[in-house]
Amino acid sequence: MCLWLNFEKNCVATLGICTNKTSSILTTEAVNRPFLYPVSKTCFRSRTSARVKMKRSKGGGDEEAPRHNGSAGRRKADQQQSDGDEGGSDIGPADLQDDDNDQGLRREIRSKYRDLISSVQQNREDMLSPSNNKLTEVLEEANKLFKDVRQAREAALDAQLLVVATDLGKEKASQLFSEGTAFDPTAFAEHLLSFMGLNRLEDDEDEQQNTANGYLPQDAWHRLARRAECCFRTAPSFHYMMGSFYAEPPPPKQRIERQRKAPSKEAKRIMPTQLKKMEESQQEATEKEVERILGYLKSYYQDDPTSPISYYEFVIDPSSFSRTVENIFHTSFLIRDGLARMYLDEEKLPCIGEMILLCPSQELIDAFDIKDSIIRPPNTQND
Amino acid sequence: MTQRKRPSSTQSSSQRRHTGNLVAQDEDDDATFTQPSTSQVQRGLEKLTPAQVDQKTAEVVQYFLVKDQKKMPVRRADLVKHVVKDYRNIYPEILKRAARTFDQVFGLKLVEIDPKNKMYILVNNLETPDKASPVRSPSNPKMGLLLAILSVIFMKGGVVRENLIWNTLRKLRVDPGEKHEEFGDVRKMVTDEFVRQRYLEYVRIPHTEPIEHEFRWGQRADAEVSKAKILEFMGELHEQDPKTWTQQYRQAHSLPNSSQASTSSSSQR
Repeated sequence: MCLWLNFEKNCVATLGICTNKTSSILTTEAVNRPFLYPVSKTCFRSRTSARVKMKRSKGGGDEEAPRHNGSAGRRKADQQQSDGDEGGSDIGPADLQDDDNDQGLRREIRSKYRDLISSVQQNREDMLSPSNNKLTEVLEEANKLFKDVRQAREAALDAQLLVVATDLGKEKASQLFSEGTAFDPTAFAEHLLSFMGLNRLEDDEDEQQNTANGYLPQDAWHRLARRAECCFRTAPSFHYMMGSFYAEPPPPKQRIERQRKAPSKEAKRIMPTQLKKMEESQQEATEKEVERILGYLKSYYQDDPTSPISYYEFVIDPSSFSRTVENIFHTSFLIRDGLARMYLDEEKLPCIGEMILLCPSQELIDAFDIKDSIIRPPNTQND
Repeated sequence: MTQRKRPSSTQSSSQRRHTGNLVAQDEDDDATFTQPSTSQVQRGLEKLTPAQVDQKTAEVVQYFLVKDQKKMPVRRADLVKHVVKDYRNIYPEILKRAARTFDQVFGLKLVEIDPKNKMYILVNNLETPDKASPVRSPSNPKMGLLLAILSVIFMKGGVVRENLIWNTLRKLRVDPGEKHEEFGDVRKMVTDEFVRQRYLEYVRIPHTEPIEHEFRWGQRADAEVSKAKILEFMGELHEQDPKTWTQQYRQAHSLPNSSQASTSSSSQR
């Protein structure tokens, strides 16, 4: 398995890549064989010799055909160059014996490989940039690591790294290979935003948000869609001009009318009863309450006729202010009607007591010879 | 001439249908729908009145027009099962007449986008205007997003990894991970809706961990979208001559119909 990469800033890249197939063959072969060391020795002595082996078995340099139209001559020259560079990473059998050291070393190698793989994957955009040689550096790093590889597991990681790196290499090569101007999606996005009418903010209020400067107008995407109409030969969507014909309208209308009529009648019926109730309830409620309070007062007096009832004790509801106010209100009716009396006791605290009811008895009427009432009775209260 | 190729079973079954036997159609029939030969079509036409054939043609046209509202391609199997039904023995004739109707009445072209699976779409046959249409019909913002995606794919050689598209969209203030106020679930729209409409192809790249996909132009895009016009738009945006992108320019102008792949309904069915 072999990889030649020769990226320099302004030169056209030459790229010879072995396909994924090759690397996967290597991995599967290495993993499936029970005796790894001899196999790895043969396969991984140097990567170039592995290529030679592959070449022999596949019968041709098809695997090494570059993905892009590189000139064959230059490729061969590079081959020899890399051969010279990479040759002679001989592995001796002595290393096998020191198992513990091996384990630690292997772990280290594996971890370094994984770091390299993740760095390639994470910094993909960075590595793609034609202004640096980071990809070459990664591969040089991998070459150094590879010198210590003995077993299939590390070799598999090496293969994985190469798959990732060659993929990146292919993309990088495609960038450099295009004869015309390269296409930069970032610049494209910027231009597109301007086209859509991005209002860039004048001053950098938010220094943190360097990316989100400005806001897009509401119709930004519509603008682009309109421009798209020129590039697309889309068939206009078919719609009936007057909408679809529904056979159903009449029944719903009837239902609506019926529904409207019904509530109005009920509403009228309800109205008068409600009004009556309201008038009655107001009067009744107050009277009932007053009677109720009179009842309380009487019962208190029956229990204990001698001791006076403190007014405050009588009216105050410790749990509710509004009830207290109501109690005061209703008690005032009692006093107004002469059914109770308020007086100050020795300690000048208000007390409430019963009144002797002045019901107009027949004797009183005869005694005073009352023929007519002086105070004209008011009109009926229920108006 | 074509009868030689066909196994005897299908021949007899098509004859059965030919006699007007209203057997319930099972799925197998549609899956193995074989094109009736010209002689069979002739015979079929003789047995029917012109009015019947016209009626059936009109039904096919209407089916296509309604299906095209959502830009979903029409499968031949569905068409035969739901519309053509008993007239399947003259199917080629019906389709030919329908294509003619589309062309003459609506200015549309019936295009077969998938010869293997027999799928059809409708494409506008009229010349695209150079500038935006003066008619202020409501535009679909999704087309704007689609244009951006197709442009990137085309300028990048025809295949891009999905991450490039997502990153570009993010720069355009459309985050596939979040709900966009105009597009809603962007990821679903791009990987599901556009793919089903055949504007895009979303293919899994083998041997990738975690799983990655790549985007290509879909078959509908190949038929509907003009690469030359896209390049023109690029030129406007970047204030460059479209010819500076030599590879893309060559690709856009290499086909005789520089706008789309030249498939027409009459050649393939």
